[in-house]
Amino acid sequence: MIELNLQRRRGAFEMQVNATLNAAVSGLFGPSGAGKSSLLGMIAGFIRPDSGSLVIDGICLFHHEKNRPEKNIDVPIHQRRIGMVFQESRLFPHLSVEDNLAYGYKLLPAKDRRFEFNQIVELLELGRLLAQKPHQLSGGEKQRVALGRALLTSPRLLLLDEPLASLDVRLKHQILPFLRRVKNEINIPMVYVSHAIDEILYLTNHVAIIDHGELLGAGQFHEVMQDPRVLTLAHSLGLENVMHVEVASHSVQDGYTIATLGANLGTNSGGGLGSQQLHMPLVEVVVGKTVSVSVAASNIALSTHPLSGVTIQNQLYGVVKDISHVGMRVLVSIDVGSVLIAEITAKALQDLRIVPGKGIYCLIKTQSLRPLALSN
Amino acid sequence: MLDSLFTFSAAEIAALVLSAKVAVFCTLLIAMPGVAVAWLLARKSFFGKSLLDSVVHMPLVLPPVVPGFLLLLVLGSQGVIGKWLNEVFGITIAFTWVGAVVASAVMAFPLMVRSARLAISQVDIGLEKAAQSLGANPFKVFWSVTLPLSMPGILTGLILAFSRSLGEFGATITFVGNIEGETRTLPLAIYTYTQVPGGDLPAMRLVILSMLIAIAALMISEVLERKAARRVGLATNHD
Repeated sequence: MIELNLQRRRGAFEMQVNATLNAAVSGLFGPSGAGKSSLLGMIAGFIRPDSGSLVIDGICLFHHEKNRPEKNIDVPIHQRRIGMVFQESRLFPHLSVEDNLAYGYKLLPAKDRRFEFNQIVELLELGRLLAQKPHQLSGGEKQRVALGRALLTSPRLLLLDEPLASLDVRLKHQILPFLRRVKNEINIPMVYVSHAIDEILYLTNHVAIIDHGELLGAGQFHEVMQDPRVLTLAHSLGLENVMHVEVASHSVQDGYTIATLGANLGTNSGGGLGSQQLHMPLVEVVVGKTVSVSVAASNIALSTHPLSGVTIQNQLYGVVKDISHVGMRVLVSIDVGSVLIAEITAKALQDLRIVPGKGIYCLIKTQSLRPLALSN
Repeated sequence: MLDSLFTFSAAEIAALVLSAKVAVFCTLLIAMPGVAVAWLLARKSFFGKSLLDSVVHMPLVLPPVVPGFLLLLVLGSQGVIGKWLNEVFGITIAFTWVGAVVASAVMAFPLMVRSARLAISQVDIGLEKAAQSLGANPFKVFWSVTLPLSMPGILTGLILAFSRSLGEFGATITFVGNIEGETRTLPLAIYTYTQVPGGDLPAMRLVILSMLIAIAALMISEVLERKAARRVGLATNHD
């Protein structure tokens, strides 16, 4: 569990972060310049907060109160045991892959080592690379070595600062499965920073959203998305709703893919709803695989009855869970096997007599669904 | 005639050996402080940094006689420290070969620092941060990352310092004089021969010798640098 309560002010930029992260992987998401890297820097110890505290699994790494300086704690970077993987791998160019991997491992007392050297080498499939120098590696290999190097220090927490940002899509696909493997096989909490929501959702549904130095929310993706400020941010990114669907068939000629939205597919349990079909733009993903698709709240219309004679292909049945008013907007969250947020007008809300618990159809045009780049 | 160009007298050989001894000790003397000051100037900000920078570089811009004279004032037998050293430990520095080492060290120090500082400042701080996050304390970071990655530049600095020491004249002659067998290094010997009748031939011999040493030093530095650069990988940057 990571308990964050950190403040820092530099000029006009103010960081204000107050959150508790307790997921295996927390995705830290926000536009560039939002303060993602600064937050990681404060956790790792590279940047000193003005005040606040940082507690990981009950161990206080930083504490600063203006009025009680005798209580202050600031554990030096090298004693924090917080692993970092950077966007640029930052491998030591004068050391072989093996020596890079062993760098932190050797500095760690044997009793604190949670993994065997070879265990990590095998997990990340690094055996073949051990004798090489970093400049002989590809971008993806470098990041795998950097990941292994950090894991071998048995960190309390692993921070990944846009580790895939400098890789092309093909390499991302190659390295993401390793990250998931690490998540599944190694019990080290991770904070994964990215401005690519598809990378984050591939690894976790637990997200923290940051903008202008402020943490807007942390929790399950669909819950966080209901926060009006997050929604405003997500709106500009077109990301209010993300569904995980399983590819059922392709219609290459007509340019669409049919996918199944099942109750057990999405990470949010849909109470006993059967699986529903979704028409989406054609994706190059093998049948049976899972893809994530996003749709903006403003692109979802609601109907109390199934419609016939309309061009809209998708009519997902769901149950209204919640209704919230955000300024002039009305947001209805509906469980269709995955939680969707639809934006409607106040008048429509009244006319259709939408209340929590009511069954309703979500109308979504095929072309308003946006497949996210990565398949699971 | 050609034979006589390569037949060295005992005095000439003494000058050569003395020069080599002074240059070696000078290089050894400034290696550690040179790297330390270079690291301070490259990586730290502190009160008085620009003053330290200026003081270190002073010998580069002053006439060499000036540092020599200042050394005499400080370390001479009547100097502030020199007198104390003599009374307490019985050590004399002025007008000894040790003084020649000190004089050339002062003159060579800025060359060493400049070269090492440039090399250290080119080491990616990101790598040092990565090392810290892997559990390395600041000393370990320096020893295992900064130092090896700046080694080519540090070696260049040491070779420059060695060569500067071999060629030192002004500060040496001011501080330790021109005593045959004690402080008469190669340049001083050449100067001395040019001042006496019939000294042209021995002077020429030493000039040729100096040139050979200079060429050898440059070649060795080239090889060492290339070796070191290869050892630390293609580049100091990580990508």
